[in-house]
Amino acid sequence: MVDPVAGPERRIPSLRGTTIRRTIVIGKLYLAIGTGISLLLSLILLAGPHRESTFPVTFPLEIPLFAVLGSTGGLMTFTSDRTKGVFEYLIAYGIRPRSLFIDGLVSTAAMVAIILGLALLVGVGAATSRGIDLTGDFTKTVALYTIPMSFAGALFTSTIGMIWSSVSTPRTGINSPIGIAPMVGIAPTILVLIVAETVPSGDFYYVTVGAALAIIAAVVGLLAMSARLMGRERFLSPL
Amino acid sequence: MTTADALPASSGLDSSRRGRHRIEARGVSSGYLTKRVLQDVSFVIEEPAIYVVLGPNGAGKTTLFRTLAGILRPHEGTVEIDGIDVGRQAAQTRLHYLSHIDGIPDALRVDEALKFYARVEGVGAAETEKVVRLLGIEDLRGRFFSELSQGQKKRVSIARVFLQERAIYLLDEPTSNLDPKLAREIRDLVLALSKDDLVLYSSHNLFEAKEIGKYVLALRAGRVGYFGLLSELRPTKYVIGIRAEGAEGVLPASTKQGDYYRHELSGPEEVPKFIAELVAKGVQIREVKEMENPLEDLFA
Repeated sequence: MVDPVAGPERRIPSLRGTTIRRTIVIGKLYLAIGTGISLLLSLILLAGPHRESTFPVTFPLEIPLFAVLGSTGGLMTFTSDRTKGVFEYLIAYGIRPRSLFIDGLVSTAAMVAIILGLALLVGVGAATSRGIDLTGDFTKTVALYTIPMSFAGALFTSTIGMIWSSVSTPRTGINSPIGIAPMVGIAPTILVLIVAETVPSGDFYYVTVGAALAIIAAVVGLLAMSARLMGRERFLSPL
Repeated sequence: MTTADALPASSGLDSSRRGRHRIEARGVSSGYLTKRVLQDVSFVIEEPAIYVVLGPNGAGKTTLFRTLAGILRPHEGTVEIDGIDVGRQAAQTRLHYLSHIDGIPDALRVDEALKFYARVEGVGAAETEKVVRLLGIEDLRGRFFSELSQGQKKRVSIARVFLQERAIYLLDEPTSNLDPKLAREIRDLVLALSKDDLVLYSSHNLFEAKEIGKYVLALRAGRVGYFGLLSELRPTKYVIGIRAEGAEGVLPASTKQGDYYRHELSGPEEVPKFIAELVAKGVQIREVKEMENPLEDLFA
């Protein structure tokens, strides 16, 4: 119902497209490192003498680590916008703080999609051209571990980093949320692998998919909690 | 740059509503987390004019602007824009807020940054072009914001305020970092706005404040220390500087600072009589200027 005094609410256009584009520019170094190492790994594995056995197993298991690292641009853009006072203006225009978090996550997911897309396209293309059979377990691992854990790990990293940078005094370097969050973020992807190796082989994918879903649930929970508990002043520039 | 004719495009506000806007703060206490910066602030603003917000560092000027803009929620009390709680978007879209921070996103060129805010405002390319010309930033539009000087950054930051007409302008130090010429042009634009709109304007430049303000809202330690007409503000002393020849023996040498003799009067109305007395004593007056601003009393 339209308030007779206030009038109709104006829908503010989404800024996600611009934010993703900016994230590519701001996080280009991380994006290049994440994508570059993935591609380099695939070429190294394909150059080895045991490529037919190592590539289908090793390649899909290591991609999530580089996806988490390479998608740091999402967190960098969030931190930059807060410090530069962009959030202050957007909140003054009526944009809700929760959507600022969501934009950060969408940008992170876009970076993961770029890294995954390029790594899989080049890796699979190169492997196929070398005559390596990628049916069976490889496809299953990519679908049930590589893709879900890449997104879950990167979103978890981004969420922890955004909350952390919002509640702490800005600092730069390796001791900052941007420096430490990727280290925190790769932990779940490694832990899942360790746990999955301890269960019967038939249960491996139950563990990986279950872990990815649990991490996504944690991300949603953290977002809901932070939106409810964090004051708007957390989004203001400390400058 | 022109003034009134170059002002922002109409937002579609009913023209009969112009000059009938209102900001009302009632018992507002506000701040950051548990720290209160503003304490029991109350005022009503409805006459179109420039309201200069003054106060020493830490008095709560920026906190007041952020609270009036709906960025900070008051711990106690209410802020209403035209009778609508400022936390609602309908209130926020009636005002423009200019922070002392640039607020331009990283990795954007100047024209991209303006398009970013034009999109938020819901205005098109024509308005953006107009603002680029209005602020004289045509030559900056292809450059990255991070490459600009402080003054150029400020110009781009101010540009967004003129993308669309609003009824209320909250301008936190709009002329800081600007060269005198551009500061003058910005003041002229703000003066033109104040004919129809409510403008709250904070500044550390007391001479600027005295020049453009009609009302003064002075904050002291988070409370309203004075709110009223600037013309009714009675200074406790009025200090002038006199550059003159033949003043030796007439004006005490101990009061000379550089080329000027400092002299304290009780108010500006005493200046003509005092100068006439000096002239009668053979002093040749070259220049008389205000050495201290009466608004400085508000900082005491």
